[in-house]
Amino acid sequence: MDITSWLDYGFMRSALVAILIITPLFGLLGTMIVNKKMAYFSDALGHSALTGIAVGVVCGIPDTTISMVIFAVFFALLLNKIGSMNMASTDTIISVFSSCSVAIGLAILSKGGNFSKYSSILVGDVLSITTKEIGYLLVIFLVTIVFWGVAFNRLNAICIHRALAKSKQIPVHLIENIFAVLVALIVTLSIKWVGILIINALLILPAASARNISVNMREYHLFSLIFAVFSGVLGLFVSYYTNVATGPMIVILASVIYFVTFIYGRTKK
Amino acid sequence: MKNKYVFTALMLACIFAFCMGATTLYVHITGEDEHANENLLVVTSFYPTYVATDNVLSGIDGITLKNLSEPQTGCLHDFQLTPEDMRLLSEADVFVINGGGIESFMEDVASAYPNLIIIDACEDVLLLDSENGHVHDEEEAEHEGHSHDEDGNAHAWMSVADYRIQVSTIAQELAQADPAHAETYLANQKQYDDKLAELQQEENELAQMLGHTHVILFHEAYAYLAKDLGLDSCYVLNLDEERSVSAGEVAEVLAEIEEHGVTFILAEGLYGSDLGKLVESESDAAVLYLDTLNRGTYDADSYLNGMRENLSRIREWAQEGE
Repeated sequence: MDITSWLDYGFMRSALVAILIITPLFGLLGTMIVNKKMAYFSDALGHSALTGIAVGVVCGIPDTTISMVIFAVFFALLLNKIGSMNMASTDTIISVFSSCSVAIGLAILSKGGNFSKYSSILVGDVLSITTKEIGYLLVIFLVTIVFWGVAFNRLNAICIHRALAKSKQIPVHLIENIFAVLVALIVTLSIKWVGILIINALLILPAASARNISVNMREYHLFSLIFAVFSGVLGLFVSYYTNVATGPMIVILASVIYFVTFIYGRTKK
Repeated sequence: MKNKYVFTALMLACIFAFCMGATTLYVHITGEDEHANENLLVVTSFYPTYVATDNVLSGIDGITLKNLSEPQTGCLHDFQLTPEDMRLLSEADVFVINGGGIESFMEDVASAYPNLIIIDACEDVLLLDSENGHVHDEEEAEHEGHSHDEDGNAHAWMSVADYRIQVSTIAQELAQADPAHAETYLANQKQYDDKLAELQQEENELAQMLGHTHVILFHEAYAYLAKDLGLDSCYVLNLDEERSVSAGEVAEVLAEIEEHGVTFILAEGLYGSDLGKLVESESDAAVLYLDTLNRGTYDADSYLNGMRENLSRIREWAQEGE
């Protein structure tokens, strides 16, 4: 086995570049998603991709990525809005909207028995990464880094105590909305190669593992980033040689890390 | 504090080592047989084209024939190329495809490997239309707003007559691509064609026995067989994976049986049997389960055997009726 032969192919190089851009983002955003208990929210966003594609197909948009992104952003803002109205518990509301949107998506896409055309999006396909998408990812990467640098402390304050943050003149809604939009963008742009079924795991697992062993914010971020990039690159490598889908392989590695850190964290306490 | 970093590094190192070891072991066990560069590597897109190409290539040394890793279920419609396939194609000299739009990944392949010689077996075949099993009218299809590549019925191998055209196209284009073996390709094709001609003769005899009658198809692949047998397919329900049937469609099938006095239905065992049982209990029509010949043993005669079995199943039913 030649250890570098996997980089001889253009599609594997783009996959590697995409993973090197996207996994740090997953690690970074994941920390806040875990802290804010938004795991369900990001899961719903992933599912909304189906509806986004369906909307694109109905409107005749040739590039369904665009309709998927637009729909997910709209969906994220809607969920945020309704969540802040405090009508029922948030997880119920998210569940209602998520299932409703999945049902609409499935109904449209399965019309005429054509769902098999879209089934690849459930598991993901690492070969589908295009240079254009890598460009998009890079832009989001930079935007996220800037947002993190500027607003992380405020976001953290909101997370710790919302009302207190508001009283300190922090624009709570604005920051929460920007955060939700960023999550929506990253989820939809990486869903094609990670797959709807497991994208959330990729967002949650590195941060959850890091939380098991960290004592402060700095460590939390550091470990989350390391775990995300590590499982991403190793998962791509293993999936290439063993001929299995890349997304699931990455998630399996991330889960192993989670369990090991979980046990370690428990024994230390 | 320090312990934690040591632990993390150790954990990641262990996982890394384990993955590398397991992967190396896996690659070692599955035994990548590297094909020598002087050999001509011919890759086929899926089973029917593999069998056809295998017959054309039989008895020639120094040519490697490989098939893409195919899906376990049904046709190629929703098949995605795996990294393994891309690697195989990057080494291939000739890629034989069925054509007619069934290989939805062809655009990517053609752009990724511009030097690959692609043989489209359906090039000279008149493809049928997807909906009603009649000869595909391109103008009409474009008029309706869909391109013919996506909506045509590409299961041409299910017609022996069209399959003969496919085999001859493959042989001729292989002969062009590799002139050194041209004579052998064409001789092989001639030999195989004789066997296929015999099969077509059997088909014609069966067609006379059945006479001109209406038939309902539960898979569009059988439209080609129906064409060969001179049957008029009045209703085609394309059942394959992930296709669920609505109650309205079942009612339509039953109405068609009534209207045209349909006595038998051609269905595929895997996806058509649920609906088949339902229709059999609701009407007098018999449901015959045939093989779409899109997977099986990689044996040179498997097409001949499979098609012969299909024909004998129909013949048995017809004899019972008499």
